[in-house]
Amino acid sequence: MYNILVVDDDKEIVNAIEIYLSQEGYHIIKAYDGEEALEKLKENEIHLIILDIMMPNKDGIETLQEIRKDKTIPVIMLSAKSEDYDKISGLNTGADDYVTKPFNPLELIARVKSNIRRYVDFNQVNIKPEAKTGNLLTTGALEMNDETKKVTVDRKEIKLTATEYNILKFLLENKGKVYSIEQIYENVWNEESYGAENIIAVHIRHIREKIEINPKDPKYLKVIWGIGYKVEDIK
Amino acid sequence: MNKLKMKREKLGKNKQIRMIINKEGEAMQNIRDSILLKFLCYILIPIMIFVLAISIIDISITSQYGEMDGPEEYIETEEFGREYLATLISNVQDINRDKRRMKASAEEVDTSMDLNATETSTEDIERENPYDNYSEIEDESYAYPVYYESIQYNNTRLSPYINYIIIDKETGNMFTNIRSNNYLEEINKLRAEKTNWSYQDGNIATNITSINQESAKYITSSYYSVDNFEGYEIYSNIDPTMLNYSNSLYVQQSVYNLFKGHENLPSYLIPLSAISIIAMIVYLIWATGHEKGKEGIQLNSLDKISYEIISIVIMFIIGMMISFAVASIESQIPQRILVSVFLLCYLIGYASLAVWVATTIRRLKAKQFIRSFLTYKVCRWIKVTIQKIFRKVTDKENTNRKITIIYWGFVVISIILACTMWSGIGLIILIVFWIWVYYKLLQYNKKIQKINEALRNIYEGNPNVKLNEEELEGTLKIMAKYINDIAGGFTNAIEQSLKSERLKTELITNVSHDIKTPLTSIINYVDLLKKEDIQNAQVEQYIAVLDKKSQRLKKLIEDLVEASKVSSGNVKLNMEVINLKELLNQTVGEFEDKLEKKNLKIEMDLPNENVLIKADNRYLYRVIENVFSNITKYALEGSRVYIKLEKQKEEVYLEFKNISKDKLNISAEELMQRFVRGDKSRYTEGSGLGLSIAESLTELQGGKFKIDIDGDLFKVEIKWKSE
Repeated sequence: MYNILVVDDDKEIVNAIEIYLSQEGYHIIKAYDGEEALEKLKENEIHLIILDIMMPNKDGIETLQEIRKDKTIPVIMLSAKSEDYDKISGLNTGADDYVTKPFNPLELIARVKSNIRRYVDFNQVNIKPEAKTGNLLTTGALEMNDETKKVTVDRKEIKLTATEYNILKFLLENKGKVYSIEQIYENVWNEESYGAENIIAVHIRHIREKIEINPKDPKYLKVIWGIGYKVEDIK
Repeated sequence: MNKLKMKREKLGKNKQIRMIINKEGEAMQNIRDSILLKFLCYILIPIMIFVLAISIIDISITSQYGEMDGPEEYIETEEFGREYLATLISNVQDINRDKRRMKASAEEVDTSMDLNATETSTEDIERENPYDNYSEIEDESYAYPVYYESIQYNNTRLSPYINYIIIDKETGNMFTNIRSNNYLEEINKLRAEKTNWSYQDGNIATNITSINQESAKYITSSYYSVDNFEGYEIYSNIDPTMLNYSNSLYVQQSVYNLFKGHENLPSYLIPLSAISIIAMIVYLIWATGHEKGKEGIQLNSLDKISYEIISIVIMFIIGMMISFAVASIESQIPQRILVSVFLLCYLIGYASLAVWVATTIRRLKAKQFIRSFLTYKVCRWIKVTIQKIFRKVTDKENTNRKITIIYWGFVVISIILACTMWSGIGLIILIVFWIWVYYKLLQYNKKIQKINEALRNIYEGNPNVKLNEEELEGTLKIMAKYINDIAGGFTNAIEQSLKSERLKTELITNVSHDIKTPLTSIINYVDLLKKEDIQNAQVEQYIAVLDKKSQRLKKLIEDLVEASKVSSGNVKLNMEVINLKELLNQTVGEFEDKLEKKNLKIEMDLPNENVLIKADNRYLYRVIENVFSNITKYALEGSRVYIKLEKQKEEVYLEFKNISKDKLNISAEELMQRFVRGDKSRYTEGSGLGLSIAESLTELQGGKFKIDIDGDLFKVEIKWKSE
């Protein structure tokens, strides 16, 4: 049973989140401003915080700064501010994720799950490091075992087609580097591309849809428009 | 009461008087402006002058000669005797003067040539003709030299009509104006003439019966003394019939005859005509220049001619007329012609004088007298020109001053030097000057180019220009200042408009935050409702509508914020080199399923090589994404979509063509306007801002975005500078 602190000055939003997350088996602790959130944080053992930015008394960014002074628990920012600037400042202050309002409940749930799993894993890894055998390709919570041909994200297994697997493997082997469709084709198929390259693009979209929580805002397989694709190197 | 009444009466009287004055004034004005009256005066004046003149002549004649009936009668008067003797005296005086001069020069020669052969020299002198008007002729009957008056010298008006023989008793020389072979005989003839006058042995005598010895003596004793004849013998006569040819005598005679029988008339006519002349002249002086119905002095075309010119011309005419008249009186032309010539001269002379006086008066009255002088105009022009030049040269505001002084200074100095003995140095200075001028022109041109560049920048929309005013001078400096001011103004205006645009964007962003929060609840609770187990199909349908509309609202708000941000340029661009071909492939990959769903077939025409442009890849994707999104929404299902990418010389050309599923009864411009969609009402998908955002983003990144509608063919053209 994980405790999630939901902080928002809009009570209806907090209630709605409670409904969604309770259905997933989480225990919800509610707070309606920054001060209250910090109090609740002291009183309870919290595994994840969903934090609004625009709040009375103490806003989300300030509250986050307070939290980050001594805690590493995952924080998902939830805000109506959708500007790049807001996202960057939130993430830079120490947020683990950023979800904009109005949010897709499924996406929020997925992100909550992912963050909790990673947080718990991280702690567990520290306690009992699992011996990683064979060709294990990883970035963040994305893992690919080339021997078992198994791909997992946040420990959840992903079913990929052979082509998709090969493409992801090539990119994962060269994580952090950008490859154009042509290069991917040539490297994966070992033959010269013949012009129908948008098949690769379709495959990559499919991969994204499978491994990403929000394929439009991918975390692992990023699209560099007009240049190519890359797998983000996440430690 | 009485006083008041009196006052009123007085006032009334005053009024009456004033009215009378007014009426009189009007009458005066009528008189003044009358053309007829003026014309009459101009005609009458010469006539009156003529009358005055003949009256004066008549009076002078009658006072001089008493009666005057004709030449024969005139000869018998004492007055004639006086005139006659005066003529003779002047002839004798001429002879005497020449003789005395000859003597004096002979004495001089005597004294200077005392030692030399005096005899020959005296002979020579004797032979020489000392008389200016006479030439020596031969006469066998006379022992001494005879001198004939070869050059007629009219001492008096009677000179041409007198025949004379004068003998110098000292030398025996004879002087005469008669042509003859026998002068002794001629002397006798003269002596026998009825009108003979002679002088012998100190006695004057005449055959004229009316003049006896006493009266002849009386004549000569008074003014025309016979002493003048001392040492001479004189025989002379006058032919009375010849006297008829004397013009002056004829005039006198005519005038005398005119008044014969009315001898008192001239003494009335003189004051009468004189007064009328003066009156008419005064009237004309007063009236000239005034015309009926016109205010002020009216000048005619004659008055516009320079005063000197008109004066000279008129003076010349008058002078000519006077000399003609005088010459005609003096000459011996027939007297009938004389009269008409004289009258013509008189009238022309009068007319000219009248014109001249009239124009002078008009000019004076109109205060144009001095101004109408050519000299005045010339002086004025010179003055104005000098002032102009002076002003130009001294005016510090005038930027041509320096150029004028330096340029012409150099030219003049060079020319002076080149024309003098210093021509070598002048040429060198001239060459130096040319080089210097060339150098200055180049410099000037450079400065102008700088200004031109600044102007071009402003024209092209970069008002961030700053010209260095200190580097420039004169007009260029002023120009630079203006340009800087204009540029500053533009920059300010642009900044202002950007600022207001930013504020608008901020407002929209902030409002959108406030809308998003309740919208979040709406979307979430609609979603929760959807998950409830509702047994009512109607309610489920309602929830579906709520779901759809809330999602649309969300999209609308997002697009609105983006559109306002993009159109205000409130976007940070991260420009890098992008392969448009790759981007198109990627985008097709992204939209593959959506296109498939609508059964749209993409026909791509891409070049083999990469097509590189410089852009912000995320925003460029937004452009292409919006175009694709538009296609998936509005293209006719099952149709083909043509995408063509072309690399032209300097540009990259990208074209999307699809068939619209709905009739496009709208222009491309309208379509691009915000919130306007191809079909104005029916479509609920999208915000209608997609293409507008795409256009703004393209332009923001330096590209060109154009929509073309041709029937159902919907075409998007994107142009980019090739990298």
